[in-house]
Amino acid sequence: MSNSDYLISAKNLCASRQGRMVLDHVSLDLAENDFITLIGPNGAGKSVLLRHLLKLETGQSGSVSHRDGLTIGYVPERFQIDPTLPMPVRRFLSLNNPLTAEAIDALAAETHCEALLERPLAGLSGGELQRVLLARALAASPQVLMLDEPAQNLDVSGQLQFYQLIEEIFENRDLSVLMVSHDLHLVMSSTRRVVCLYHHICCSGAPESVARDPEFISMFGKDMAQMMSVYQHSHNHDHNHDHDHSGEATS
Amino acid sequence: MIPAVLITAIALALLAGPLGCFVVWRRMAYFGDGLAHSALLGVAISLLIGISNQLGMILIAIVFAVALIWLRTQRLLATDTLLGILAHAALSLGILAMALLGMEDAEVHDYLLGSLDNLSPDSLPLVVLGSGLSLGLLMRLWPGLLLMTTSEELAHAEGVPVRTYEFLLMLLMGIVVAGAVQLVGALLITSLLIIPASTARLFAKSPEVMGVGGSLIACLSMLIGLPIADTLAVPIGPAIVSFSVAIFILTLTAKLAMDWARGKKPAA
Repeated sequence: MSNSDYLISAKNLCASRQGRMVLDHVSLDLAENDFITLIGPNGAGKSVLLRHLLKLETGQSGSVSHRDGLTIGYVPERFQIDPTLPMPVRRFLSLNNPLTAEAIDALAAETHCEALLERPLAGLSGGELQRVLLARALAASPQVLMLDEPAQNLDVSGQLQFYQLIEEIFENRDLSVLMVSHDLHLVMSSTRRVVCLYHHICCSGAPESVARDPEFISMFGKDMAQMMSVYQHSHNHDHNHDHDHSGEATS
Repeated sequence: MIPAVLITAIALALLAGPLGCFVVWRRMAYFGDGLAHSALLGVAISLLIGISNQLGMILIAIVFAVALIWLRTQRLLATDTLLGILAHAALSLGILAMALLGMEDAEVHDYLLGSLDNLSPDSLPLVVLGSGLSLGLLMRLWPGLLLMTTSEELAHAEGVPVRTYEFLLMLLMGIVVAGAVQLVGALLITSLLIIPASTARLFAKSPEVMGVGGSLIACLSMLIGLPIADTLAVPIGPAIVSFSVAIFILTLTAKLAMDWARGKKPAA
């Protein structure tokens, strides 16, 4: 705990799994109203890093500090409810988390879950479930929203809608987002900083500069880099200033 | 039928409802069987060192749970294999110890299938008190336990002490086993936990309804099964379990019939 300039600050984090180094001197700071998209190949340690930033695990060396009283909303990568557990969405949102009926309705409206409230959690589609998990993550009005590959099981239009929702929430709420995602082109307009992880931080910076980084190109190939720079080109062309970017990802 | 026995049975049934839900949701039925089998070793040990049966069984349940949690973290064998080893080791040791301590076959039989004969009336208030306290603890832990059953990762991230809660859940199951072994018998205790909860699952739309429904169904099985076993002089455990299975089958039939009728209606 500290009162630093950052909400979350990791310094020289090292961690291993089954004797293999997964995080190698990783340092990462999350500032207020920051939007970091964390990318990296499978097995690069992205989820492990999130778990350390959440303080669910502690590394072998290095440190993670949270600003005093920090609340984090978390959308885990894997979520599978046993169908023998009857759990309506409304109950799930207030589970271990006392909320008034009005607060639940407001949360549901914000995350487009109004029609799901009385349905059982086990019967939701992938996209519906992700929205409910997002609603729950927002229930405590967190300063930080952490998402671990939230759209990996969604179809293309579902991904688009989900990322739009994240951008809406980022614009409307006073919070920072740290998201593991490969769909960089879909969250480009909100992403302030891309961090590319492969056990260590290979490169980081604004999306357009990362796309030109040789390490990024060697890891993700020219296609991804080109897709980002093509996108970035139109982005610069159309919008030179920081005004409303909503809807841009679909254009 | 002694009223004190009925009251004890009701107290156990009230706890078995919601606790049984977790056994169903978290797939702990085999663990419950293991605990129940190890209870026989607890009986033998309490006989040997001169403590109450219930205390001996709870101590063994704690040893059993700790051994399981520790072995599981070693990741050498699958949990059901570990349970099989632990449960049958405890069962064999328990029956051997009972035999060596000079316990008669009939008495061992009573511990396996339940009987009124070896119920000591002095222990009944203790069982009622233990069940009441356990129910109170379960209600306190309820939201956190539900969250970790829904998603262990979310619960962990939201500050629920997941490992402690898991151990407490195992301890509560140990308490039910210790309280119910003499009544229902070691072989059938798990069914006291899972059948009422499974019956309630057929109609419950929320975890709370399933818990309360499980309690009511367990109470009903006790209230019908106990007097009948007493009158006919048959083993208690099988009588109670048979009635709870009958309630399960009736509920299942009713549900299937209702679903069928609903399916027949024109789409709304």
